[in-house]
Amino acid sequence: MLLPMRAEELKGHLDALLLAALENGPQHGYAVMEALRHSTGGRLDLPTGTIYPALHRLEASGLIAGSWSVATGRRRRLYQLTAAGARALSGKRADWRDFAAMMSTALEGRPCPGPA
Amino acid sequence: MPGPCLIDDYLAGLAAELPAPIVEELADGLDETYRCYLGQGLDPAAASQAAVAEFGEPRVIVAAFTDASGGRRTARRLLAAGPAVGLCWAVVLITARAWQWPVPLAARVLFGVALITVIGLLAVAVLGRRYRRVCRAAATACAGTAILDAAMIGTVLVTAPALAWPVAVAVVLSAGRSGFALRNVHHALTG
Repeated sequence: MLLPMRAEELKGHLDALLLAALENGPQHGYAVMEALRHSTGGRLDLPTGTIYPALHRLEASGLIAGSWSVATGRRRRLYQLTAAGARALSGKRADWRDFAAMMSTALEGRPCPGPA
Repeated sequence: MPGPCLIDDYLAGLAAELPAPIVEELADGLDETYRCYLGQGLDPAAASQAAVAEFGEPRVIVAAFTDASGGRRTARRLLAAGPAVGLCWAVVLITARAWQWPVPLAARVLFGVALITVIGLLAVAVLGRRYRRVCRAAATACAGTAILDAAMIGTVLVTAPALAWPVAVAVVLSAGRSGFALRNVHHALTG
């Protein structure tokens, strides 16, 4: 049985997940959360409200850009990946591959594939 | 209708702590969550309870926004720069025998009190849990830092008997920090 991923387990990886969720185009906060749930097979166990400050932090870092739009008569804040965000996502993916390969080698005795 | 009432109370709690644009964004997300549960067949009361539970405790959300605020980021940078700038000024003041300068005692005491106040405000901005208090403390500390840096630079340029390279380093660092602080007063205040 797959256990839910809790906030402490995601520490350090949430930014990469959020950037990846925005890779396919602009999304609002709730849609980002839905994309995360979908991409993690429903195992993400984060309060939805905590996604928004994380998005604000990424926006302040210049990795995503936020803008207001009007949908069905109400204002909605949309976020999209910036060029710097796309580069950061690429770097985080490469870091994760190296980290995962290293951990697999250390924990399971698999041969280390070496750097990509 | 008990459902939306619960959501209204939840949002009112957030609005007491966070700026209106953030609450508006959270309200949109909460409404989406509520509608999602309604679509799954829950009645309004159950849907609102589920939506609020899924969104999380308001104090956790407020703490996360406070931590991500511009005020806290700016205060962290000013605190990180403080020891280096302070050390440079200490070298300048000791090597130039600043205790012999013709600066009135009242001005020295006023400067010391202002310096301690700014450090205290920066500590509040870095450690505080209330969003608005953190932003106000950071903005005030920014203005205070700029004033203190200007006072130090002005005093040294007018009073110091001879300008040496430690003075140049301290003045450049202080001017840079002062410019950073002034540029970020509004940013810190608006979060």
